[in-house]
Amino acid sequence: MATARKSDSTLAGVATGSTLPVILTLAAMIVGLTAMLPLVQSSGATSTAGNIQRLHTEKSALQAKLRELETDVATLGSLSRIQQEAKTRLEMEQPKSVNYIAVDVAPPADRRLPSRFLPPQRESAPADNDASFWEELFGWLP
Amino acid sequence: MGKKERSMTWRLWAVVVAIGLGGLVITGRLVQLQLLDHGKYADQARLTHMTEETLIDRRGALLDRNGYPLAASEDTFDVLVEHRIWKNPNVAARSSQQLEGIVGIAAEDLVQAVVDTDIFEVAVARDLDFDTATAVRDLGLRGVRLVTSSHRVYPEGNIAPQLLGFVGRDNVGLTGLEADLDSILSGAKGTVREERDGLGNRFALGERDETAPLPGANVVLTIDRYIQLLAEQELAGTIKEHKATGGTIIVVQPKTGEILAMASQPTFDVTKLDLSDDSKIALYRNRAITDQYEPGSVFKLITTAAGIDSGTVGPNTWWEDTGALHIGPWTIRNWDQSVNGSQTVQQMLSKSLNTGAAWVAQQVGPEKFYEYIQRFGFGEPSGVGLTGDAPGRVRTPDNDPENWRPVDMATNSFGQGISVTPVQMIMAVAAIANGGVAMRPHLVKEVVYPTGSQTVQLEQTRQVISPTAAQTLREMMGVVSDGVSKTYLNVKGYRVGGKSGTADLVTADSGYKKDAYISSFVGIAPLEDPQLVVLVKIDEPKNLPWGTVVAAPAFGRLVERALAYLEVPPQGDALVTAP
Repeated sequence: MATARKSDSTLAGVATGSTLPVILTLAAMIVGLTAMLPLVQSSGATSTAGNIQRLHTEKSALQAKLRELETDVATLGSLSRIQQEAKTRLEMEQPKSVNYIAVDVAPPADRRLPSRFLPPQRESAPADNDASFWEELFGWLP
Repeated sequence: MGKKERSMTWRLWAVVVAIGLGGLVITGRLVQLQLLDHGKYADQARLTHMTEETLIDRRGALLDRNGYPLAASEDTFDVLVEHRIWKNPNVAARSSQQLEGIVGIAAEDLVQAVVDTDIFEVAVARDLDFDTATAVRDLGLRGVRLVTSSHRVYPEGNIAPQLLGFVGRDNVGLTGLEADLDSILSGAKGTVREERDGLGNRFALGERDETAPLPGANVVLTIDRYIQLLAEQELAGTIKEHKATGGTIIVVQPKTGEILAMASQPTFDVTKLDLSDDSKIALYRNRAITDQYEPGSVFKLITTAAGIDSGTVGPNTWWEDTGALHIGPWTIRNWDQSVNGSQTVQQMLSKSLNTGAAWVAQQVGPEKFYEYIQRFGFGEPSGVGLTGDAPGRVRTPDNDPENWRPVDMATNSFGQGISVTPVQMIMAVAAIANGGVAMRPHLVKEVVYPTGSQTVQLEQTRQVISPTAAQTLREMMGVVSDGVSKTYLNVKGYRVGGKSGTADLVTADSGYKKDAYISSFVGIAPLEDPQLVVLVKIDEPKNLPWGTVVAAPAFGRLVERALAYLEVPPQGDALVTAP
């Protein structure tokens, strides 16, 4: 009897004394951590989305600035401005007479369109010499 | 005790059953909402949350033939204010005062613009540049946001405004090349569909579906900004000197049909556009292709070409000029009422004798004469590719047998009773300069897409006259130019050929305006290897009407500078060989 009582009290002691709070704490922590996981994921995704949005805005702003600078460059190179500068600031005048001198040199190359208005150059794909027999067969497909 | 326990057990079970039933009802409803009717409610939620916005990328630029932008787009920013936020007077006052110093609009006006409306957001300032927009953004004002817009800029200033045209606030081309090339310049619109909350804020993890817009293509024109500027300066100077009402100058490369310059007046300032002023609408049209006029004696070139190419006459074929040519009840006389006796066809052209031109046309005969006129491109649109390309008016025995009379051919031979556009006239002479081959006039040289470019192919329209006849015509034009006083036409270093014209100004009711003329000169330079054909047309000069006096000097000055610019070496004494 005494042994049995002691045994009961020991079981109850284990459950209610030191182990139960630990189990409950662990369970609470697991539940809390499990609940935290989607929150952390969501928070991380939100933060990333925010960063992407910020970078988009930054990119748009830089593009806008770039375009503004391009326009500034074009405006600074405009003929009317150059003529105005030549006449007013540099006090230049149209020549009264023009002499043409023939020189024996190659003519200058044709002026090309500035690169900013040309389509981007595409790098050609390097030849794949290590392609297998089967991969080469794909090349025959229409 | 046992009875009490049974009672408690029963009550406990009742509560459990009630809670259980309640739970079942709620679960059932949740199953209905979230599983069975999920699609329906998800669609309703999406309709409420999803917003769709159109995305537009940068509009392509219009570039001159060397890549200098004549019209380009730069990003600007509009300031939007949320009406709901500024309903609070304190917020509105504080924010508007901060904005006032940056956007340059009075704080009261800003507040008034927002509170006077019921819409969600109001644009209180438009087209801010990058730095101003950054300053607004840095304020971090609640309810104030920036949206990117676009603004057309003209780096070369107000150059070729009627040709380039302009766009509206929605970035759609309204006139000129901006309208005609709108589908190329504007690119492809994109869309973004995304979830937003009731206040319009984007869900961080919401659904988002974006189709990126494609930027517009850049269009490289055949226009050369320097030659265009020369043409506009010469046109403005000549109009001012002769107190004229307007005019047109076109410069063409005869071998390619490329239009290097196209200037017209009266004009408008595309950099200071005011679309609210209806009185300016007439200024927007490109007169070089839309306006028809009687070309006058310049047209004798076409008559002479018909005579020579058909083998009917040669430069030295002579006829007797009695000063009057009778055709039925009508009498054709020379412009100066002169009687010249025996004259060659070359003299007819040099002295610009109406009787001689009418005689040549009679020798050619109406059928062939009008066939040549058609082959030179008169009576049909020039094919330049611009809206408003007028066909002109040529009355022939075929297209108007009831009204056409033999005297019509006589007057047509010296450029009266026939309407042409400036671009038709210059392309006809360009065919003479190009060995008798007519090229299709064009303004677009290349279209540069983000992924590649497309070059416009040159197109021969037809062989109008034989190369031999064209060579003869060029020589005759050279003789005509050589006979012009150096006071009016003196192109140093180059030999040029041309023909002047002085025509009456036709009124809207097909009559002639009293004492109003159109003076013109069309010429080829250099004569040996034509690089340029230039037409100068001046409307209603007030002091003197003659094309030689009014238009030829502008032709000479323009050609001299344009040829030097194009690095066309001069001939003769003007060229000094370096030791």
